[in-house]
Parts: sequence; C-alpha cells; structure tokens
Amino acid sequence: MTDVIDHRRLLEEIDAEVRRRRESGDLPADFERELDLAFARFAPVHAIGDDFDQVVERAEQSAFVDVLAPTQSAQPLVGHVKRIIRKAIIWEVRYVAQQVGGFSVAITRAVRLLGRRVDALEEVAPPPARLRAAGATTASLDAGRWGPTVVAALEGVTGRVLHTECGDGALVALLAGAGFDAYGADPVEQAAPAGVEVRTDEALDHLNALPDGALGALVLSGCVERLPAGALTRMAVVAGAKVAEGGVVVVLSADPRGWERGRSPVDADLASGRPLRAETWAHLLDAQQFRSEVAAEFAVPDGETLQAVPGADPVLAANFALLNQLLFPPASYAVVASRR
Amino acid sequence: MSAIHQFLPTFAARDAIGNHALHVRQVLRGMGLESEIYAEGIPRPGRRDAHPYRSFGRKPAPGRTWLLYQLSTGSAVADFVRARPEPKLVNYHNITTASLFAPWEPHVAVECREGRRQLREMAGEVELGVAVSVFNEAELREAGYRDTAVAPVLVDLDGADVDADPEVSARLERGKRAGGTDWLFVSRVAPHKCQHDVVRALAAHRRLYDPHARLHLVGAAGSGAYVSMLERYVAALGLGGAVTLTGSVSAAALKSYYRAADVFVCLSEHEGFCVPVVEAMRLSVPVVAFASTALPETVAGAGVLLEAKDPLTVAAAVARVSTDDPLRAQLVAAGLRRAADFSLERSTRRFTEVIARFLADQGAP
Repeated sequence: MTDVIDHRRLLEEIDAEVRRRRESGDLPADFERELDLAFARFAPVHAIGDDFDQVVERAEQSAFVDVLAPTQSAQPLVGHVKRIIRKAIIWEVRYVAQQVGGFSVAITRAVRLLGRRVDALEEVAPPPARLRAAGATTASLDAGRWGPTVVAALEGVTGRVLHTECGDGALVALLAGAGFDAYGADPVEQAAPAGVEVRTDEALDHLNALPDGALGALVLSGCVERLPAGALTRMAVVAGAKVAEGGVVVVLSADPRGWERGRSPVDADLASGRPLRAETWAHLLDAQQFRSEVAAEFAVPDGETLQAVPGADPVLAANFALLNQLLFPPASYAVVASRR
Repeated sequence: MSAIHQFLPTFAARDAIGNHALHVRQVLRGMGLESEIYAEGIPRPGRRDAHPYRSFGRKPAPGRTWLLYQLSTGSAVADFVRARPEPKLVNYHNITTASLFAPWEPHVAVECREGRRQLREMAGEVELGVAVSVFNEAELREAGYRDTAVAPVLVDLDGADVDADPEVSARLERGKRAGGTDWLFVSRVAPHKCQHDVVRALAAHRRLYDPHARLHLVGAAGSGAYVSMLERYVAALGLGGAVTLTGSVSAAALKSYYRAADVFVCLSEHEGFCVPVVEAMRLSVPVVAFASTALPETVAGAGVLLEAKDPLTVAAAVARVSTDDPLRAQLVAAGLRRAADFSLERSTRRFTEVIARFLADQGAP
C-alpha cells in the first residue's frame, strides 16, 4: 500500500460511481427534487428561490400569529415565571395578533389577486421564458448531428453537464454514453431514454435555481432560438455564474438568417424572439470570462442552393458561389466557450 | 514593560476564537509582555479570564502598548479599538458572507456586513494583519492590508487532560451494535455550515448504500431559525431516528463523538480555517469535505475534497471511504500528518515568530 493518495483518480472513480448509480435508476430521478421541495417547505422565504406560488404560500402560512409563546426552560423556576407572564399578558398579545394577522391575510390575498391578474396578462402576452416555439425539432436537438461536436468540446470536463431544452434527451444519452455525468432539462415533459435524467423545467428557471459553480458544462439549445435578446443576454450571465472554473458552455443554435428563411414573413416578424449570430454569442460569453470560438457550422444542403451549369464559365460559377453565400448562409452553428 | 492586549467582540472560553485568545495571551506573556483580554460579551465561564472592553483605561496605556483585535464579525469593540491612540494589530479569522445569513438571521447578516466594513476601514490603521490561513491572508490583502503574515489558530489538538465521556461513548457504542456507519460534523449549527446538505447526503447514502447510517451534528445553535428548520427537515425526510442534533457538548463528550465517528463530513459554504476538520484528522477520523473557501488549504490532500456537494456525490464518497479499507488507512495516516502541522507546539512557534519579528521591526525591546 502506498502512502500517497491519488486524489484525481479517486474523484474520477467517485464520479463514475455517481454516474453508474444515476444510470441504474437506483435513486428515483426526482429524489433530489423531493429533497429540495422538503427543504423549501421549512426554509425562510429568501432561501427558497423565486417560485411565486411557493413564496405566497409561505407568506400565507406566516400570516398566522401564534400567541402562545413557548415557556419551556431548563430551569423550572424560569419556566414557571414565563407561564405567569404569558397568562398575564395574553389578552393584549391576542388583541395585537388579531390586527397583525388580519393585515397579513389582507396583504397576501391582495398579492394572490395581483398574481391572477399577471397570469391573465401572461395568457395574452406570454413572457419570454414560457414561450415554446412550435415544432421543437430544431437542428440543436439532432443528437446524431451535434453529438461529435459537443463530445469534443467537453473533453476533460468534470462535474455535471446540463443540456437545456434537451427534448427527448437523445443528446443527454449520447453524452452519458461518452462518460459524462449528464442530465437534461426541458419545459415539455416527454419520455426520455432509459437511465437518462431529464427534469421538466424552463432553462432559465432551472439555471437560476442551481448554486453558483454547480456545473462542469452547459449545453444550450432550443431556448436560444426563441427567446428575445434580453433573455439571451441574461442567459449568458447566468451561464457565467453556474459553470465552474475550467468548465465549458456550448451553444447550439440556428443561424438567424437561415432561421428567417425557413419561416413565413409574418411568423418571422411576429416571433417573440429569434436566434443570435454566432459572433454575438461569442461576444456575450467572452464578457463572462469565457473564451469562445465557433466550433462547427452546418451549411444549407446542396439541393437547396443555386447550382452552376456544368461546364459554365468560371466567372459565372464564381458568381453563383457568391450568390449562394449571400442567399444561403450557414443553417446552424455551435459556439464553444471555455472558462478562462 | 511592553504590552499587547487583545480585544474580542465576544470571549467564549469554549469556542475556537476564545481558546485561541487564551493561548495567545499565554504566548505573549511568555515573551515577557503584559497581556490581558478585553471583550464586549463575556459569558459566565470566561469572566475570570477577560475584562469588559470599556474598562480599558481612557488614557493612552503607559509604556509601549499595542492592541491586538481578534476580527471575526462586526462589533462595537472594533470601533472602540480604532478610536484608541495605541498602534494596532489584527488577527483575522474571517467573516461569514452576509448573504448566507440574511434569509435566516437578518441581524447577524448586518453584523457580518459591519465586520467587512470594519475590516476594510482598519486596513490603513493597522501595523500588521495576522491571518489564520493563507485564504484569510488573501482577503486581508484585498482589503488593503500591506503588512500581513499567516499563523494558524492556536488550538490544543491533543486535549491531553480530557478523556472521552464514558456515558456518551456507551450510548454511541449501543447505536453501533445495530450496524451502520456513524457520520459526524462538528460546528455551530448555522446556515453557512450547511448541516442541511449533510442531512440530504445522508438521505441518499441510506437509500443507496447503508440504510442504518447515522449522523451526529455536534455544536451549539448559531441560528435559532436554522436549527428549527433543520429539525423539521430531518423529521420530514423520515430521518428522526438517524440524525442527532446534540447542541453544545462538553470537551469529553466531543471526544466520544470523534472516537465513535467513521467519517467526518463537512459541506460548509464558508470556513476561514475549520478547526473541527483538524480535530477529526488528529483523532484518526477520515474527512470528506466540500472544497469551499479555506477548506482546500486546511485539508491539504489529507481528506476527500469534493468539487460538488450534491447528495449522491457526497453519499458515494462516504461509501467509498467507509468500505475501502486501504484508502481509509491512507486517509487516516495523511490526516494525522496534516494535524501535526497544526499542533499547538508548531502553531505557537509560528505565532511567536510572527510577533517577535513584528516587535523587532517596531524597535521594541
């Protein structure tokens, strides 16, 4: 037995054990969520995140004022004195508690009503985080197409890998198969491959709920094509906080020019958000202490572009190529950003 | 005769900083200096060792006198020390990040913010900042302290005069007969110590590896709201019979808990040094810890240091430490070596060197 502990290897073995256990389904997929929910029931309102209903529920629970102060004490005499004091002033405490309780109930009721009005408003004008583009089959969810790029980008990454808007979890399964401790989040509940952990959650909501530095890598897709610019800027900031040092962010997105070409003018103009160019993602992520590069671009298939006449004049062929470049920019891209 | 007097927000003879102050006083007196302890809060057991800070004379102290402030939170004592004409030193133990306390104990968060303010404002007024870890020294530097040094907390890890409490040991032994590993974490029960994360990990561990595992959370309540939440959380997870919150215990009982522990699990979000980790290593308990703040420096490869503390990762790490005998033996041996780095003898030597060099620079006899 050697005296030196190989910590790197030990941590890798622990990681592998964690992955094996997760894949085996020994621990129910919602086990950690259950622990979180139980914690949220008892933790102070500031410590349980931003869920509106949960916060209002806690406010309603807190509106009840218990007028019976505890009187236990390790010293019998002190406990006795406390009981006498409680008995002597309970009428006054009750009187005050009734008013405080009434005020609290009225306020929480008002907040509930306000919440309903906001819900109604959101029905008419959904907030960016809840928008889900019709036909979720975007290039970013094509695991076969993007898998090799993402696996190569994540080389050397340790810790959990999150794929937001992972759809049916195909890319998550591929990453898990490549040895990463991967899980997914998607706002639409759907069947995931066996042993693949997919949580039903909006990308930004899920990221906001994670502790800082909780992720080894983050793969963003889907949401990056439909959220407005403000939400995407926020996404880059949150990614910067949640991805640990040495971690990686991969953005898989349609190119905005290609995205627009595939839609009717009305759909494109009225969309609540649209994808960013690869350069813009690089700019946003670089501002969060990442070093970004465009790792892959998928061009429009040949059949959909202008074809030069066989044997045509080279000048004409060059002009066709130029026209194709202008008319048919890359359909989609991957930006890989490594934490500096 | 020259003097270095210590000032503390609270002098509690049983806590790490209170103990440290007592050892520092002994060191300073051993160097031929006058030295007394002054504090704002002085719970009963410490009253013969410390004086109320306002009893320190209004006029400048006679002879060459320095004031050594033990900085760990915001306090009126810091403003009192700052207003004094004597030159000053700071012994920095770190200040909990206010946001970790804010949801639970807003008034403590206010004290922590105040402490950070005082830390920054004292930077230009202090001759020397002594940090108990390199991590803390970096914070002193960032706050603007020019002259700094590192000297670990003075703590008697051997506790030579304390035997384990036979009653507590017997009770723990009875628990062991039912099988299952004993997890231990020793610290004030407070939000930044994240005892709830240890409970979560225990829940996963019992589910996957060891249905009889137990957790002992030893330490006084640092936040009533957090303790109350923790008790209800434990009950809601059905772990009432598996998790014990002991509250403050005697030194003898503490030794019993260390002796009975199979693993020491620390998932704190914030530690400026973490004496209990070193105590665990000294008593041959392998350590599994979350790599936050000063913990990587204190553990220094002598424990399993995790980059994540999700329940499954911690559970898997504890399972590995509990079942892999060669690894366990390696961790125990490494822990003993690391604990030796913080023996009272070595730390005292280091502290003495720092103070002797400081006095020499000041031209003191």
